[in-house]
Amino acid sequence: MELIINLAINGIAMGMLYFLIACGLTLIFGLMDVLNFSHGALFAWGAYVGIWAFDVTESFVIGLIAAILAGLILGLLTELIIIKPVYGNHIQQILITLGFMLVLAELLKVVFGPDIMAASRPGYLDGSWSFGDVTVIKYRAFIILIGLLIFIGIMLVLKFTKVGLIVRAGVMNKEMVQALGINIRLVFIGVFMVGSALAALGGALFVPNSGVAYAEMGMEFGIYAFIVVIIGGMGSVPGSLVAALLVGLSGSFMGYYYSDLSMVVTMILMFIILIFRPQGLFQVSGVSNK
Amino acid sequence: MIKKIQRSTWIYLAVAFLLVLLPFFKDERWFLFLMIQVFTFGIFAMSYDLLLGYTGIISFGHAMFFGIGAYSVGIILDRMEASYTSLLIGILVAALLGGLVSFIAGILTLKLKNHFYAMLTLALASMFLFIAEKWRSVTHGSDGFTFRLPELPGPLEDHRNITIYMFCLVMMVLIFFGLRRLTESPLGKILVAIRENEGRVESLGFRIMPYKVIISVISGVVASFAGVLYAISIRFVGTNVFAIDVTLDALLMTIIGGVGTLVGPIIGAGIIEFAHHYLSSLADVHWIFERWIILFGIVYILAVIFFPAGIVGTIKAKLHKRKHRKIEAKQQNADKMAS
Repeated sequence: MELIINLAINGIAMGMLYFLIACGLTLIFGLMDVLNFSHGALFAWGAYVGIWAFDVTESFVIGLIAAILAGLILGLLTELIIIKPVYGNHIQQILITLGFMLVLAELLKVVFGPDIMAASRPGYLDGSWSFGDVTVIKYRAFIILIGLLIFIGIMLVLKFTKVGLIVRAGVMNKEMVQALGINIRLVFIGVFMVGSALAALGGALFVPNSGVAYAEMGMEFGIYAFIVVIIGGMGSVPGSLVAALLVGLSGSFMGYYYSDLSMVVTMILMFIILIFRPQGLFQVSGVSNK
Repeated sequence: MIKKIQRSTWIYLAVAFLLVLLPFFKDERWFLFLMIQVFTFGIFAMSYDLLLGYTGIISFGHAMFFGIGAYSVGIILDRMEASYTSLLIGILVAALLGGLVSFIAGILTLKLKNHFYAMLTLALASMFLFIAEKWRSVTHGSDGFTFRLPELPGPLEDHRNITIYMFCLVMMVLIFFGLRRLTESPLGKILVAIRENEGRVESLGFRIMPYKVIISVISGVVASFAGVLYAISIRFVGTNVFAIDVTLDALLMTIIGGVGTLVGPIIGAGIIEFAHHYLSSLADVHWIFERWIILFGIVYILAVIFFPAGIVGTIKAKLHKRKHRKIEAKQQNADKMAS
């Protein structure tokens, strides 16, 4: 029982990290039909910048804020330099973002050195609580808490603010939103930056848990984020949360029993969705996958 | 039109003939090896062009077919005796597996948007890399393994490198003409039509899915054959064949050479392979050359934005324009005469 609870907590914590990457990806896709293959690189950048700022300032919170800032800046640059020049051409968009992913991952090695970077947890999040037989690692609980807060925050913004209204309307029909005199490009840049910042935050939150950061982690987590988005349904934020938890939990349990098969099981999950429900678990009206 | 095709065929055959003569003038090991790389990657890039250039399908996991081919032939030659039978079995298994994987990827995602095929192939390729690293008893993990090739008959054995050079060259030429025939066939025309406007092809009564799946399977088979040739030429298989770098190479070669031209990717393969070679020797000069993926990535991004037609595409467009201008000038002259 103790084992199951621990694996579940681990899986949910990983799921929250997947969610942080995937929700930006899914919103950007829903709003502008752009699939950003370089999104995963921002996760790695967030991780490195987070470690670096934590080391320099010795404040974990400042590390997280630095990662968010890095995500915002890189998101803006990606939108202006990479996505904008090839607007309206899907093939070029897909091709170019993959190239940018590789460049961003290599730049990490240039800026921070090619070696693996070690990460540590702040003292107040180190250790664990025990409830009877069950021990809960504090840091994982912290990740789950942050993930939930961000999910609730996003849902509140989407449901109850004007910006959220515009974003939701844009997902359904962006021409109509434009016709009403709203500059959808500004909204899109904003969503792009916020999505990138969330991915970077996810990276900064992940590394104290794993202990190490390396440049290729961007690609690894990016692939998991794609799987999450496919399972959850393109454009759906709640969908990406459910799918992320599903992927996180299945990876955690499978990883314990047969660690080599954890990735395969995630793939099988994606195959099943693609065969029986290609639109994903949660379908958003106005977003088509055909 | 027929005359035109024939002229280009003669040019290609002449170039192929020059390439046949080349090793008799320059037979250093590194050079032969580099040319063999050009031929194998030329085949690989052509298979990529079938998807990207002719049908408008984007694959980010093309390395997986390359790797499937290399591992199939490597494992079978490693496990069985090094005979021609096992080599043949290896090639057949490679083609079958490559075709099967691309068939599965195709039926799962080709009815959806472009993004899905790109995502799925990227994910599948990373899964194959993962399997190659973990299934140590068969793949020897990240160390890779060497294997023996069957003995060549008599004098050919003494000039093994030249023999492999010729074999790869002949294969590339055959595959090139085969694929060109394919793209000029009615099937090829439908593929181009699908790339240009899917909805219209559908409204003309064609079912799109089967065509896309067929081309994805053909491309997978050809790509895994390129992997077979690669493994044979270096007699070693390692996990690097599944790496994203291989896919990036195919993308670069196809885009720089010219999408949708078939001959472009071969030229691209030549450029990229020689660039690899000289860049890695520049690593002593400045460390940035060691990080060649940055350079290639930037070149790739710039090419996608500013040079989407590639070398061959740009030349073709120029020729076309000039021809057009000539015809226009003729017509104007005729108009003047008439008035």
